[in-house]
Amino acid sequence: MIFEQLAGNLIQGLVLGAIYGMATMGLSLIFGVLKVVNVGHGAFIMVGAFITLWLFNGLGINPILATPFAFMVGMGLGFIFYYTSMQRLLKAPELATLLATFAMGMLLEEIVKLVAGSEFRGYNWAVGKINIGITVLPMTKIYACIGSVLVAVLLYIWFKKTRAGTAMRSVVEDDEGARVCGVNVGWIYALSFAIGIGLVVASGVLLTMFIPVGINPYMGGAYTLKAFVIAVLGGLASPYGAFFGGLVFGLIENGSYTLFALLPGVEPFALTRFLSFVILLLILLIRPTGLLRAK
Amino acid sequence: MKKNIAKYYPLIPVFAAYLVMFLIGKHMSGMWQLMAMLAFYCALGQAFNIFLGMTGYVDFGYVAFLGVGTYGMALGITKFASFEGLGIGIIAIGFILALVMATLLSLAVGAVALRLRGAYFAIATIGVNEGFRFLIEGARIWNGSEGIIFMAEMNKAFGREMASALSTFWADVMVFIVAALAALVTIYYMRSKIGYALTALREDEDAAKVMGINVTKYKIIAFITSASFAGLIGATSWAIKTPYVFPPEVFEIHYTVEAIIIVLLGGSGTLLGPVVGGLIYGLAKYWLAVILPGFQLLIFAPLIIVIILAFPEGVIGLLKVRVKGTSLGRFIE
Repeated sequence: MIFEQLAGNLIQGLVLGAIYGMATMGLSLIFGVLKVVNVGHGAFIMVGAFITLWLFNGLGINPILATPFAFMVGMGLGFIFYYTSMQRLLKAPELATLLATFAMGMLLEEIVKLVAGSEFRGYNWAVGKINIGITVLPMTKIYACIGSVLVAVLLYIWFKKTRAGTAMRSVVEDDEGARVCGVNVGWIYALSFAIGIGLVVASGVLLTMFIPVGINPYMGGAYTLKAFVIAVLGGLASPYGAFFGGLVFGLIENGSYTLFALLPGVEPFALTRFLSFVILLLILLIRPTGLLRAK
Repeated sequence: MKKNIAKYYPLIPVFAAYLVMFLIGKHMSGMWQLMAMLAFYCALGQAFNIFLGMTGYVDFGYVAFLGVGTYGMALGITKFASFEGLGIGIIAIGFILALVMATLLSLAVGAVALRLRGAYFAIATIGVNEGFRFLIEGARIWNGSEGIIFMAEMNKAFGREMASALSTFWADVMVFIVAALAALVTIYYMRSKIGYALTALREDEDAAKVMGINVTKYKIIAFITSASFAGLIGATSWAIKTPYVFPPEVFEIHYTVEAIIIVLLGGSGTLLGPVVGGLIYGLAKYWLAVILPGFQLLIFAPLIIVIILAFPEGVIGLLKVRVKGTSLGRFIE
């Protein structure tokens, strides 16, 4: 009985993990290329969620179609933030970029709050569900999972096959060397920041398919911490590491929830959140380069 | 001997500012609450500056130490309220508990996080407040998510009148004292080997290490000092002043952000900076709450970006360069 429940929850975790992974790819891309930690990560996810909400409730556009649109909006935001502030802070101490990204997140949250208010909202996209024996998966979650795998694959192809993707990889390896070889490093920084933010905003769209009624200007905070755990699991600088880190994290989160729920006198949900923090510290302590990366 | 005292001249404007704030609060009717709030922000800035300003490391989980300090005082009062004859000694026990708990947490966090640098350090600390909050809620420690309400215990231990005086007046006086103590420790560090070591490590950690400075030791000293002051601030401002504690409130990352803004605004790594930053921030927040309620964050967010881009040295950082070598220069640090 308990094993059946555990297996069911683990499958749910794997599906959720694919979204977590995609949500973290943008964070890792930005860190890999610019060596900037986007502390405002969660706010960009929130922007994606609101885009979905507005497109669905306002124009009846379904969340799958909203994803590319959200990606474009995210890229736009990324370019704006890059050219107005990030560009000048790349050589500054870490304190500066950490605070700047934090402030960007705060600014977005406050603007959305101003426009939409701070109550929880949601939408209802009824496309049925399927029963796979041990657990029931709504079709929305399956679409979201397929969507995020698709994005990961597209990003992989883009990285390997296009000139800009190759240039980006060269900057990750060695930005001085890339500059010497004629790569326009400044442009690659801007493009990576924009694509990174685009990915995060797009992941916000897919994430709403898991929490259709939990959309709120401050919803992002919880995902920021999760994203850091995932990014660190995957080695922080690698978008693919982040994707697999997401899968692992989804399994850990749902698995531990099922097990914590067996303990008497505890709140399993809060303990799950505590566990993710402990994992973060442990990995940073033992293997700062990430669990999934062979060194 | 005279030279030794001259080293501490920069304390004069700091203490003068606190004295003026105290006197305004005491003698002008209706000003006490505002001055108490300003003192809280100055104290917060002063305490945080010892770590952030002196090392250049960003601790996003700083509020956890305030939260733990709040719990320390809350536990002190609830557990010892039934002992007859302890009287005001209970407050002392509360402060000791707050100090010990904040120090222990900072040791635990520091042992892991201070091995890491820059971005990795920030990532390790960003979850400390959340992590600790969820541990308290999840494992139902100290009443879990219901929190602790100890108004009744305070009344029982000190009598109704004294308890009310404690929370409306003495708690704020103690915040002033903590702020002044933090300033004293800051200048002591600045003028000793610790300060020089921390400056070296802030400028270039590798070079400092190569020069034979035990960087880890000094980082830990700054981290624990800063955290224990946070514990004391939590114990007075969040426990004695408002006799209840709820996990989501005392571990709210918002306060870390406020501390960062204050330190940056005034000038990180300076002595007078956090006071100036605290005053500007506190007054701006108070004023904005009156004219544009609910919009403070919307204004502060772009403000942070502007400060970082336009004048990262802060008000006192800029002033210090101006007055260097003049007679005023001796008083500004």
